[in-house]
Amino acid sequence: MRHGLAFLGWAGRYVWSGWAGAAGLFCIAAAWQAGHEAYGSFILPSPLETVREMAKLAGDAAFRHAALETAERAAAGFALSVLIGTAAGIAAGYSFAAMRLMRPIITVILGVPPIAWIVLALIWFGASGGTAIMTVVVASLPISFAGGLEGVATRDRALDAMARSFGAGSWMRLRTVTAPHLVSYLFPAWITTAGSAWKVTVMAELLSNAGGLGGDLASARALFDIPRVTAIVLVVVAFAIFTEYVLIQPLRDRLEQWRQAGLPWGVKR
Amino acid sequence: MRLELDRIGHAFLGRAVFEDLSLSLDESEVVALVGPSGCGKTTVLQIAAGLIDQLRGRVRRSYQRHAVVFQEPRLLPWMTARDNIAYGLAASGAGRAARHAVAERRAAEVGLHPRDLDKYPAELSGGMRQRVAVARALAVDPEVVFFDEPFTAVDVGLRRVLQDLVIEATARDGFSALFVTHDLSEAIRVANRVVVLSGRQEGILAERRLEGPPGSRDDRAVFELVQDWMQDPAFADLFDGGREAA
Repeated sequence: MRHGLAFLGWAGRYVWSGWAGAAGLFCIAAAWQAGHEAYGSFILPSPLETVREMAKLAGDAAFRHAALETAERAAAGFALSVLIGTAAGIAAGYSFAAMRLMRPIITVILGVPPIAWIVLALIWFGASGGTAIMTVVVASLPISFAGGLEGVATRDRALDAMARSFGAGSWMRLRTVTAPHLVSYLFPAWITTAGSAWKVTVMAELLSNAGGLGGDLASARALFDIPRVTAIVLVVVAFAIFTEYVLIQPLRDRLEQWRQAGLPWGVKR
Repeated sequence: MRLELDRIGHAFLGRAVFEDLSLSLDESEVVALVGPSGCGKTTVLQIAAGLIDQLRGRVRRSYQRHAVVFQEPRLLPWMTARDNIAYGLAASGAGRAARHAVAERRAAEVGLHPRDLDKYPAELSGGMRQRVAVARALAVDPEVVFFDEPFTAVDVGLRRVLQDLVIEATARDGFSALFVTHDLSEAIRVANRVVVLSGRQEGILAERRLEGPPGSRDDRAVFELVQDWMQDPAFADLFDGGREAA
């Protein structure tokens, strides 16, 4: 009962803090509207036109299928890059040798331009979802790697020694001492990965002609259907906002509640 | 004999901290290890507690469980006071209900209010955090407790209270303790035996057995003993502030 009420209070506060975010989004919409009034509908359709086009697209089964396809690819790319990157980063943080070995590999991956990966992936996977997924993994894996590495490397050794003095095994120390500290390094990395997963998926789809929202974007561009282009962009942005503020941030907020405990009254947010 | 350090030696980066140091801890005995800053007191304690490995010599332990109270509280900031106190029990695999029952009992013993148990360390004062750290050590029912200058960061009044807690706990639970401190009067208050470690890598300079149980010495007796020992050349290092500069 008490926990339920505390959860409701937290959820209410979280949803309420959405107003501030909405205000920021509406500032962008206002600038967009000003641009529309200066240059006209052909260059920049108004936000209202775009939203109407979006509503029309939402009723279109083919478009829904394309959006789902993109979502699946972005999610697969995100999951793979986060899993591989984080695991490798944690391993590198614990083992000096692994770090020495993996650092240059990551630098090489970072150095190859994503566009080159798309070309290579096209040759390997053809015009399929594999191209998009691989590009996402390669483009965003280094971020999670760096997060995991830094998080483990900066863990509090004094707390680790305390845990060892009580006979805590390595799994318990990872769970209770390192992981809660790691979270504050991993979440920014994961949020960046989620954002770039959407962008890179659409880009790869567009270039590899592999359907999805990127494919739609390519055909809308060919037809000079500008409201459709902006509507698709808006859909991608909406997906990105959804992943960050509905899927990732609440989880982070729940895991890092102890941080709020230390703040005195009046500066809680 | 609970614990025996047999001619241990240690060095950091080739520079010897101490050599051939032997020290033992009897059942229910509190040994205070005093010495000037940087003489290796904490290193001796860490070797005894198995936190670091000695370069030479042997450590013989004949007990099951030990606990360490560090100079800083070293509480996990993401756990409540209750879970921090129960940490050692969680490490040994005790169930949740049992852990919390012990945590509440030990918290009461060190003078923590039940209300404070749901707070995070950031919400507790320095003295309360150190009380949590003491309760965490006592919670595992240790046979040996290592205290590493635990009360240097708290004010004089609170230090007395915390020392009294330790004196009370040793009398009640009967554990042995190695109490590292640089405060001679603290050593005299809590210990059965005081061992002086040299600041010049000369090992143990002096050993004094105190009469009567730790709680029995009043302030006057403690003060007189400190005054008396100040004249003793074996204790000169402790009162020579210019040693490190020289």
